[in-house]
Amino acid sequence: MFSYTKVKLEKSMVDKIKRYAAIAGYSSPEEFITHALEKELALLEDAEDEEEIKKRLQGLGYMS
Amino acid sequence: MHPGLLLAVLAGVVLGAPSIADAYIGPGAGFAVLGSFAVLFVTMLIAGVSILAWPFRMLWRVIRRRTKSKPLIKRLIVVGFDGQEPRITERMMAEGKLPNLSKLAKTGCYSKLRSTFPSITPVAWSSFTTGANPGKHNIFDFLDRDPRTYLPRLSSTEIGSVDRVLKLGKLRIPLAKPSIRLLRKSKPFWTILGEHNIWSTVIRVPITFPPDKFYGAQLGAMCIPDLLGTQGTFLLFTTRSSEERFQEGGLRFELSPNGSKDSFEGTIKGPENTFYEGNPPMEVPFTLDLDRAAKQATMAINGDTIALRRGELSPWVKLSFKAIAGMKVTGICRLMITEMEENVSLYVSPINIEPEKPVMPISHPGYYCSYLEKKLGPYATLGLAEDTWALNEKVTDDHTFMTQTRDIENERERMLFTALDRLRKGMLVTVFDATDRVNHMFWRYTDDDHPAARDIDDPEYANAIEDQYRRNDEVVGKVMERLGPNDVLWVLSDHGCTSFRRGVNLNAWLLENGYLALKEGSDGREEWLQSVDWSRTRAYAVGLVGMFLNIEGREAHGIVKPGEEAAALKVELKEKLDGLQDAVEREVAINEAFDTDALYRGPYKGNAPDLLIGYNHGYRISWDCASGVVAGPVFEDNIKAWSGDHIVDPRLVPGIFLANHPIHREDPAIIDLAPTALSLFGIPPAAHMEGKTLVDTAHFDGREESAQP
Repeated sequence: MFSYTKVKLEKSMVDKIKRYAAIAGYSSPEEFITHALEKELALLEDAEDEEEIKKRLQGLGYMS
Repeated sequence: MHPGLLLAVLAGVVLGAPSIADAYIGPGAGFAVLGSFAVLFVTMLIAGVSILAWPFRMLWRVIRRRTKSKPLIKRLIVVGFDGQEPRITERMMAEGKLPNLSKLAKTGCYSKLRSTFPSITPVAWSSFTTGANPGKHNIFDFLDRDPRTYLPRLSSTEIGSVDRVLKLGKLRIPLAKPSIRLLRKSKPFWTILGEHNIWSTVIRVPITFPPDKFYGAQLGAMCIPDLLGTQGTFLLFTTRSSEERFQEGGLRFELSPNGSKDSFEGTIKGPENTFYEGNPPMEVPFTLDLDRAAKQATMAINGDTIALRRGELSPWVKLSFKAIAGMKVTGICRLMITEMEENVSLYVSPINIEPEKPVMPISHPGYYCSYLEKKLGPYATLGLAEDTWALNEKVTDDHTFMTQTRDIENERERMLFTALDRLRKGMLVTVFDATDRVNHMFWRYTDDDHPAARDIDDPEYANAIEDQYRRNDEVVGKVMERLGPNDVLWVLSDHGCTSFRRGVNLNAWLLENGYLALKEGSDGREEWLQSVDWSRTRAYAVGLVGMFLNIEGREAHGIVKPGEEAAALKVELKEKLDGLQDAVEREVAINEAFDTDALYRGPYKGNAPDLLIGYNHGYRISWDCASGVVAGPVFEDNIKAWSGDHIVDPRLVPGIFLANHPIHREDPAIIDLAPTALSLFGIPPAAHMEGKTLVDTAHFDGREESAQP
């Protein structure tokens, strides 16, 4: 029941996401967004500690 | 479907490598916070709030409804018989043995129904659910492999662990609930129906754990675990001494003398208690007192006394495991004394999650399972409920297995008619699993010279499969009596069945042909590919349906470069596997190996095995291969009770489809049913669905006015 959180995204981004999601075969833009985020998070998830997470975030370009 | 193989894999991991098991079995953590009292309280609270909020939710739904649909029908009733095989069905219809199906075929339609690639339950029902191929719903097998460890894991459910705990001495109080995620993607057609204000009741459709949330009610099915967090582990308490482990599931425990030759005691170990450091199992002790002359026994457990008769399954028995003060975890199981002569043995069925107070989410709304329990009594909640393992291991016998299967089937039938009698308009789908189980376990009695039945003369259940198909026909007849003029009935199966006489160990074949290497000094007998030297292995088989390449950058120790090298290796393997001969039997074992890159479309196709193996009639992945043992012959006889199967070339094992209306396609597929369901309710099929509607809506035009709400 309480397992979702709402996030606000700019309309222009969502419009692009809708188009790409349809082309790729997702059932909804939400599914595309979730999958894209899952793939990024998978690159961080088995890091052993915060230092390693930071290194990976830097490697992925999320931190400088 | 393959509960046995799945259980083999999961049970083996639990038993063979505890650290590995912890990594992915997981639900032990889930019980920590979802303790019995807390669940009951929260469930009651949610139910109360839901009842109070119902008028407001209905109003909100009317206000929010963006598109109006014009249903062509009043109700769509879908009855699924998992595994019903068309060759048997057609023969029995021709012989007049299935009068209701014959009537339906004559007045409406009958056709074979194309299954999915692969033709197994989780994949086929997911395509039924979404109207999409596996590349879009992400279910390719019962099992996936973790590319970091090469170990198998459930493909359909992910249960997270609880990281934040409050330590109080030896106690660890979890501060968050573990996440439980359904990994089936895309969108169920019943969710789309709900967006158009059309109610759906979905009972035991596979790959619904945790359940979907939509306008309707759902009782989850595969892969709901048992209380131990596995897909069905039976327990055997026995005075027989044995060092042997059950191969495909089941745990053996000692039944100890308790003061006299007729008194014994034992301890049932339940789920891990994650409130304590080290996660010790929760335990329930019991005593067993025998009356050998009367072939009866009395079991004392949890303060209750249970009467048992030798060779008879007890009714459902509740087991309460204490977690911490004031918090219990409950489950239900069935018990049977299997012997009480020189040795004494007590069979305990897999401990199902109790539907009255479930410790995991098994229905939507959360209280729907409790509602069913209050109405119908306790029932099996385990995803793979029929204990094929105990029969395979010869702990139980054909009669016990059939009793259990019939009882579960009766529970399902009551659920179907309870829901059907309450459905004024909307969609109802109920899946029965008995056919599939009976096909699997009794094919040996229909197949001349099956290795598993060679020594058996005139077995009691020689006609078990035909009897099952007759029972299915009776259920269809009862549903037909309840149909109104604006109701549509579908009867379908997700795949068929064929003989499983010879097992194929793909990893042994890969070893023999130089694609897989063993670690120095290893004999290849370890399970779960623990014998494999990944630095010299180019391909491996995990799961039940296919083969993976060991790709650099994808697998943890991949050596095959992606791109051209991987593509060339795939072609090379396919050329050798297409038409692979079993030299001993002089038969083709593998019709074709399918390149999944060409087979699937969609964002998740990269999660599929690289090659899907299409076995010929009589062949399937071997038991050893399923548990990751590399050593041994490539081909061997299957001598287990599990003697029929369908993880074969999907073109060999279509399902069936019948309806009380004509269809305008000659070659329907299970992937077509979701868009067809939508069109019957006046909703255009969703853009991502690849299936095509099977009906000409003009056929239903006359019903339109009377079907309007």
